[in-house]
Amino acid sequence: MQQGWLSNWLVKHEVVHRSLGFDHRGIETLQIKAEDWDSIAVILYVYGYNYLRSQCAYDVAPGGSLASVYHLTRIQYGIDNPEEVCIKVFAQKDNPRIPSVFWIWRSSDFQERESFDMVGISYDNHPRLKRILMPESWIGWPLRKDYITPNFYEIQDAH
Amino acid sequence: MATTASPFLSPAKLSLERRLPRATWTARRSVRFPPVRAQDQQQQVKEEEEEAAVENLPPPPQEEEQRRERKTRRQGPAQPLPVQPLAESKNMSREYGGQWLSCTTRHIRIYAAYINPETNAFDQTQMDKLTLLLDPTDEFVWTDETCQKVYDEFQDLVDHYEGAELSEYTLRLIGSDLEHFIRKLLYDGEIKYNMMSRVLNFSMGKPRIKFNSSQIPDVK
Repeated sequence: MQQGWLSNWLVKHEVVHRSLGFDHRGIETLQIKAEDWDSIAVILYVYGYNYLRSQCAYDVAPGGSLASVYHLTRIQYGIDNPEEVCIKVFAQKDNPRIPSVFWIWRSSDFQERESFDMVGISYDNHPRLKRILMPESWIGWPLRKDYITPNFYEIQDAH
Repeated sequence: MATTASPFLSPAKLSLERRLPRATWTARRSVRFPPVRAQDQQQQVKEEEEEAAVENLPPPPQEEEQRRERKTRRQGPAQPLPVQPLAESKNMSREYGGQWLSCTTRHIRIYAAYINPETNAFDQTQMDKLTLLLDPTDEFVWTDETCQKVYDEFQDLVDHYEGAELSEYTLRLIGSDLEHFIRKLLYDGEIKYNMMSRVLNFSMGKPRIKFNSSQIPDVK
């Protein structure tokens, strides 16, 4: 598999990662271990990725792991094609803990809370990690593939 | 959400109320803890001892089967709690959060508080009681027997969920089961729509003939 320049740069600086190829826009995707993610996030920020464009999470497969995805962009003056990279961090379902990047990119605040709410990844060092969409007393993680919706009464038949 | 009060659904007493223009009704019945939960929680063990002292029924853990049987065999219909004529609205102000634990759907309103049926005083200091308001908008025609069926079902559900956390989620589970029970009563023809109700929109389905709940798979 062809390696991108960022992957080469990380290899040169002995940063543990794995390349997952390129997406349809040619943006490099890297997988990083959860225990390395906080230090590598700092490295990426210092390198120049000053903008977290989006953060999301998904359930990979029933019985599989959970993934937390970060899209980073390097914003500079006078550049119309900024560098971008996509980072995926996987966590096991029995103990889904991933370091929070809130203290590096503040915009991940609500997005990590939503990821926590929907798939149940607990982000370490997040200042106020609690449910954001569901009621706080809700039980279960609604976007996991093994989630079973409770049989709550809704008005279905009103005319 | 008022999470400051007792964190476990452990109603030593249970208040069933129905507020309608015609009838007012309150119920009392003591509830015991399941032995597993009682071993887990020191505080609950204490409460269970008090409870057992009141009831003269010390339940040893090995008799779980018998107790379950006893539970399924109802000793009688659910009894209302005595009306408290001196109840006042308490703990509703902003210092206490200005909120309350409830499950409100169209036909079932459950509050974790005592509500006086005449004066509507909402006493949130008594969070060991659950108050049920049945069909406040009068969508169905209720008789005493059908009301009692819903109260019995409510008592069964509260017994079933005892030891669970007292949260909006648990109350919503109970309220939804009661709504499904009311829908089953409607499909079986035991209750019917009140054609004089203020909003007549058949919220549980249009009236049908030659139809009962056995043709609906998801109705218990």
